[in-house]
Formats: sequence, C-alpha cells, structure tokens
Amino acid sequence: MKKIHIVILIIVAGAIAGLLTLTGDLTTYDSIESAKRKEGKYVHLIAKLDKSKPIQYDPVKDPNFLSFYAVDSLGSETKVIYRNSKPTELEHSDRIVLKGQMNGEVFECKEILLKCPSKYKDDPNQQLKNISKPAATSQKS
Amino acid sequence: MRYEGEHLLIGQIGHFFALLSLVASITATIAYYKSAQSIDVNRALSWKKMGKISFIIQAISVISIFVILYLIIYNHYFEYKYAHQHSKRSLDVQYLLSCFWEGQEGSFMLWTFWQSMLGLAVMRTAKKWEAPVMTIISLSQIFLASFLLGIYFFDLKVGTSPFVLMRNEFPDAPIFKDPQYLYKYLTDGNGLNILLQNYWMVIHPPVLFLGFASSIVPFSFAVASMWKKEHKDWIKQALPWSLFCGGVLGLGIMMGAAWAYESLTFGGYWAWDPVENASMVPWLLMVAGIHTMLIYKHTGHSLKATYLFIPLSFLLVLYSTFLTRTGVLGDTSVHSFTGEGNSLYWHLLLMITSFTLIPLILYIRRRKGIPVVVKEESMNSREFWMFVGALLFFISALYIIVLTSLPFFNKLFDTQWAIGKDVEYVYNRVMVLVVFVIGLLTAITQYFKYKDTTRKYFWSGLLWPTVISVVLSALITFFGNVDYEKYGAGFLAAIHIAIWAAVYSVIANGGYIFKVLKGNLKAAGASLAHLGFGLMLVGILISSSKKELVSVNTTGISISGLKDVKGMDENPLENVTLIHNVPTRMKNYTVTYEGDSSIEKNDRVFFKIHFKSLDTASGKKPEEFYVHPNAFLVKGDEGMNLSSNPGSKHYLSRDVFVYITSWLNPDSIKDTASFANKWVGKGDTVFYSKGYIVVGNIITANKYDNKDLPVVDSAWLSNLVVYSNDGRSYTSQPGFFVKDNLPSVKLDTVYTQNLVLKINSTKGDLIELGIKESDAVMRYITLKAYQFPYINVLWLGIVIMVIGFMVSMVRRFRV
Repeated sequence: MKKIHIVILIIVAGAIAGLLTLTGDLTTYDSIESAKRKEGKYVHLIAKLDKSKPIQYDPVKDPNFLSFYAVDSLGSETKVIYRNSKPTELEHSDRIVLKGQMNGEVFECKEILLKCPSKYKDDPNQQLKNISKPAATSQKS
Repeated sequence: MRYEGEHLLIGQIGHFFALLSLVASITATIAYYKSAQSIDVNRALSWKKMGKISFIIQAISVISIFVILYLIIYNHYFEYKYAHQHSKRSLDVQYLLSCFWEGQEGSFMLWTFWQSMLGLAVMRTAKKWEAPVMTIISLSQIFLASFLLGIYFFDLKVGTSPFVLMRNEFPDAPIFKDPQYLYKYLTDGNGLNILLQNYWMVIHPPVLFLGFASSIVPFSFAVASMWKKEHKDWIKQALPWSLFCGGVLGLGIMMGAAWAYESLTFGGYWAWDPVENASMVPWLLMVAGIHTMLIYKHTGHSLKATYLFIPLSFLLVLYSTFLTRTGVLGDTSVHSFTGEGNSLYWHLLLMITSFTLIPLILYIRRRKGIPVVVKEESMNSREFWMFVGALLFFISALYIIVLTSLPFFNKLFDTQWAIGKDVEYVYNRVMVLVVFVIGLLTAITQYFKYKDTTRKYFWSGLLWPTVISVVLSALITFFGNVDYEKYGAGFLAAIHIAIWAAVYSVIANGGYIFKVLKGNLKAAGASLAHLGFGLMLVGILISSSKKELVSVNTTGISISGLKDVKGMDENPLENVTLIHNVPTRMKNYTVTYEGDSSIEKNDRVFFKIHFKSLDTASGKKPEEFYVHPNAFLVKGDEGMNLSSNPGSKHYLSRDVFVYITSWLNPDSIKDTASFANKWVGKGDTVFYSKGYIVVGNIITANKYDNKDLPVVDSAWLSNLVVYSNDGRSYTSQPGFFVKDNLPSVKLDTVYTQNLVLKINSTKGDLIELGIKESDAVMRYITLKAYQFPYINVLWLGIVIMVIGFMVSMVRRFRV
C-alpha cells in the first residue's frame, strides 16, 4: 500500500469519526406536543406567534426577558421564554423557528429565527396586500 | 384601457434582449461544438467564427439587459415589478445598485454578465482551446439566460423576467382599474431591505459573483481536456484562471464577512450560516484543485484528483445557488432568500444534473487514457504534502456541505434532523484541527522541493522559522490571555496549538520570501497567499476566542416568578438597558446614553453613546470615546419597528461594537398620568401598582440651625424605601425647599419602577407625598456591546492572500 493511501485512510477515518460524534449534536424539528413529551431535550419548533395573547417585554425592568405564546400547526400552544432582547419584527412574523427545550410548562428558547413577510418580498400574496393599500402608498408622494 | 405615464418600450426592448441572449448562446454552443468536433480545418474555422459572433451578440444582449434594468430602477419606473419591489425614491444613488442584486433576477443577471465578460476574455486568450472551452461556457450561458426568460411552455414557467409589469403580475388588484394608477397609487417602491443599505452590499455581490462565475473557466478547461484527450496542455491556461477564481472568490466571501461584521447583528463576521458555508465550499475545492494542478504540472501525479476537484468546485457553486435560492434552507438560515418556488427548483436541478453528467460521462469514457504515474511520491517531496493539504480541504468541504445540506436531506428523505444547540461549535471543533494541520502544511511544504528533498536543505531553511514561531506562539499562549473556556480544556488546547500552526505558517512563508526567494515578490505569489492565509487564521483564532461581550447584564434585575434555569452561567444575559444620562457600568467601561437625533428623510435615528474606561488604577488618563449606533424606524402594520445598524469604535488592536436592541420613542407616548397625593408620616406605607412605599425619616433643616444649607432657607427631605412586587427595593429621597418664602419641589424618580415621587407641602411631622406612575418618565435604550480584539489581523491577512493569488496568476499567465 502506498503511503498516500495510508494518509487518505487516516483523513477519511478522522472525517467519519467527526461525523459520528455529530450524532450527539443532532436534534429534530418537533411539534409542541412532542417537545412537551421530551422535556429538557433540545429541539427546534416551527410555530406561529399567538397574537391574541400578550407579548411581555419590558426593557426597563429586564432587557433580557421576553415571553410570548406560540402555536403550532397542530393547534397546541406553549408559553415561550427567551432571555434576550425582543426581535424587533416578532409581531410581524409569519412563522417562527424556536430552538430550545421545554422547562416545565414553558419553552425555554435559546434562539429565534423569524420569517417575516417583509423579507418575503417575492411572495405574491404579500405584494398584492401591499399594493392594495392605496392610502399608505400615496401618502408618501 | 390606456394607462397613463407608463414606459412600456424600454421593458419590451429588455425582453427582446433577454430572448436574444438565449438564442445567441444556443447558437454559440452549437457552433463552437461543431467547430470542436470538425476534423476539417476550414470547417472548424468557419464554425468557430460563427460561435465567436454569436457569443459576442449574446454578450451585448446581456450588457443591454443590465443597462435597461438599471435605467428602470434609476428612473423609478414603478410600473415595473422589479423597480417597485426593490427600490424607492428616497434611496441614495449608490444603493440603487444594491437594489439591482437584491432580487433573484438581478443576481442571476450579475452572474450571466460576469460569465459573458469572462467568456470574451477566454475567447481572446484560449487559442486552440477556444472551441471546446467556449462550448461549455456557452452551454452554461444558455442555462443562465433561461433563468431570465419568464416564458410559459404549456404550464411550465421557465425563469423569471425582470421586466414584468406590476399590473400584469397582479391583474386582480383594484388599483389597476384606475388608468392613473401610477400617479395615484404606485408612486413609490417598497424600498431596499435596510440590511442591504450598506456600502459593502454595493461591492460584495459583484465581487462574489465574479468569483462564482469564474469557476466555470477551469471547469470548462477540465471538460475540454478530457473531451479532446489532451491531458497535459490545458493546465497552463486553466491554472491562472483557477488562481483568479481563488483570489476573487476568497475576496468576495470575506467582503460578505466584513458586511456581516459591520451591519448584521449576530455579533460576528462568520456564523457558519448555510449561506456563508455554501459560498465557502466551492472556494475550498478550487484551492484544492489549484494545488493538485500544480502537482500535476511538476510531477505528473494527481491528475485524477484534479479532474475531481475542479469540476466539483463549479458544481458546488451551482449547488450552493440551489440551496440558497430555492428556499430549501428556509428555516435554518438567517439570510432568508426565498425562491421562485418549484420552477426554479427543477430548473436549477436540471442545470446541476447536466453539468454533473458531462464531466462524469467523459471521465468514464476517457479514464483508460488518463496518464497515471506509477512511481510513488516520496515523503520528502513537496507534492506529497501538497496533496495531503488538498485532500484535507476536500474533506473539510464535504463535512461542511453535508451539514449544511441537512434541510435538503430532510426534504429528500422526509426526516426532521437539525443541528442542535450549538451550531458554531459543531463546525469549530472540527475546523480548529483542520486549521492546525493546514497551518503546519502551509508552513513546511514550500521548504520541500518537488520529487525529493535532502534533509539538510529542508532544515536549513525551516530551522529559524520553527524556532521563532515556537517562541512567538508561546508568548501568545502565556501572555495573550487567550482563555476561551466555554468548551473546556481540550478545545482551549486545540486553539493554542492551532494558533501556533498559524503563526508558524506566517513566519515560515515570510522567511521563505526573504531567505529563499531573496525578496523577489514577483515570484512570491504562493508564499504571499500562504502568509496572508496564515495571518487570516491567526486573526480568526485570536479574535474569535477573545471576543468579549461588554454588555454583560450586571444590574441584576431578577426575573420574577420563574425557576432558575440550569446553564444560565454559560449564556450571560446580553442586553443592558441604559436610561438617558444615567451612567451605567459595563465590564470595564462606564457607559452613558447621552441622546439621539433623527434624520427625517430616512426615518433613521442616531444614538450618542459615551464610553469611559474605568482604568483608574494605572493612573493613566481614562480613555473616553463616543459610539454612534443607528437604527431605522420601519413602519409596520402594528406600529414602529426598529432595524438596527451597529455603531463602532475602531482601534488598531480592537473594535468596540454597539447596537441598539430596543428603543422607546419618547414622542410616541404622552405623559397622561398625574400625581396622586397623600399625607403621610414616618413609618407609613403607601401602595402603588407594582408594590408599596415605606416612609422613613423625615429630615427637616433650616438655615438657622444648619449652616450647610446655603442655597435654601429651609428644607424637608424624606427617605423613602420602595418595595416592588418582584422583591427588589429602591431608596428615594424627594425634597421640598423654601427660599425667600417661595416653595420649590425636588422630584425623585425610581426609574425601574416608572415612579416619580415628590413632596408637595409639609405640616408638622407630616408631608404630603405626590406619587406618579408614568411610562414617560424616562428615555431609555437597550443595547448590546461587543469587543473584538485583533480583527484587523484577519482583514490584513485577506488582503495579503488576495494579492498573493493575483501575483501568482500574473506569473502563471506569463510563464
């Protein structure tokens, strides 16, 4: 066997070992129900902001405390706590990806990814909605 | 109905050129193919001429499309969807270019524009390789042109045209019933995403796309060489192109990093975001390919590896476009590009499949004829270690792209996997080892000669660099305070040995330039690139592991009604609220929010934040500076939104970064609350909405028995203790003064409770306490602040690396 083959083998073995150690870091996308069943396990939730419930964020009292309610497509709901500042477009979000774990009755969230209509400029429905509001557009001219 | 004020002709011309570019690139592909396949010299020449003319026509068409779209945006023709979606009248002229590439169509256009320019350059320089190479480039132009088509074949929509009209896209919208819709309704566009209103965004996309586009040239040469069974000669021409691609793509990626560093709010230049990864992986492959090409050129080894790496680099450009543009990544990326949906998905997939099959089938059919050297490389040879490095780049690229593709795999196999808690660490812990090995290899490999090296030659050059780098990195280890303990001692040790390897790479390549090349910079391209790369690694390692959160929340406001959560220590609370003119301590600074000012045109607010260092022990003058972060106020459906832009203070050795995470616009609230008054004495308790107030001592003083009271004649002060419901307590001391028989009132505010307290009047031992609870008592901002040390080492490294690529390219072009 050539030396270069030995090197290749070592590197490939290293790569496989690297990928194997990953399995511990992998997590899953879950519904709120299944996240509740796996309390304490780090998961990703895809949900929506429940606009009928209050969003609690008072930067004077604590700039690192945000709580709101999230609903998923199956209809289950949970309170979410995020120990960081409120993402400014939270109220406008269509869909949110929450990364974190259930802690008792609340979802302790470490990271929030927002999907906002403003970013979805290419979304035709949103466009239609925008141009159908003549007042807002014409005012600015 | 006739609509007023529309400019339809310009769009029709644009559309015509879009079609022409497609037709011309089809003609060019066929003509060049015919020319490449013709045995008869005259026929080959006449086909080639036709290919040339067609390609020039398509290049002119592409330029015309480019100019026309720019005119539409520049002149604010909002009847066109592209202008309406991506621009706005109030936008500064320099950002009109950014509008251009904000959208899908614009970025494909940028790509096809560069590919046309590169095609023209190849046409002039490729000589005998022109026909086969241009066949492949033209073929790729067909695909790119078809992305801008926007034509339906039966039910299938192919591409999206940038010249569509609003009224055709939204025929049902009521505003188009009015012939004057342009004057009444579509008077302004939606504007450009605020994050893109940054000078880096004017320049980063063109450079990045030039890098992406240039990967087609080495690809085409590799395909052409297998096609024409000439395995040796192509390297000479393909190598400078590969170096061009490596340099430009590297620069483009890092410009994106600079943009992320300055304008995004993730607090860093690299977050292992899928979009970042997808652009880096083709670069890794291109660099691996450059090295195997060099090996092949000098020794005849590694041709097969080159045929793998070079085509793969271009394919990964396509694949990364696929990942980032079709919305497959949707939920995992902060850069949410969304796609054209299904049509683009299949369109890109078709392109990837075609460009995979072409080199694959050729390789299988030609594999017998590919020259292989039977003799084994020596361990003492340059090529052996270069190959190991190239292989490591390839494996790293695989690791990164596999992880990045998880969302796509989920879609394919209907699974639900995602990278867990700490995305960055998953990459970093592997990459830190890669950095170690790569740093080491870039340091030592140039000191080997091709084929074989004597031990004496090797060590005579490398001895001093080795000694110096060991000493230098030991100094960094012992005095550099690189103590990144988040992931334990193992990872910290890995960082330190990686720092050593990176320093080694810098010193050894610097030494090579001066000792071996005698300072001849024209020949030092490779050493310069390696030196820059090493410097970049040093910068990355040190700035990332010494990155410091300045705004650690130490005000200690507890969160009421919640259990304490495990793991809070490793995730410090990152936001601090600053009350207007109240100095607040953060790490080793005293920080004050001194004010804000707004620019009406852009709805933009600038904040004035004062930093003063606390370093008083050393007796030096404390350091003071201002940082001016700013934020756009975006009108949304539900009130104002804040879109923040960081402010920074740059020093040679570090940057302080501040960005606003929340702001209460003082104009938006009116103080409607009024004082509630109550007579109280010592020991009394008064309730307010969030708790209660206990009246302590009431101090009375007058100028007859207290000489320390120079300003007023008599004074009443009350020591109050405010107990809030969350268990915290605050002291407050409102006062009441009389001077020359005129009363004056000293208000005291308990900011965190929104409480204003005063004494209205006094009677014996009693005071009349006025209590107001108001939202308008204060102006405040919430911010995050970071300190990045030695980030300039990283930027300097990139600049040197790119210069190195360019020097090599020029040299390889001549030799």
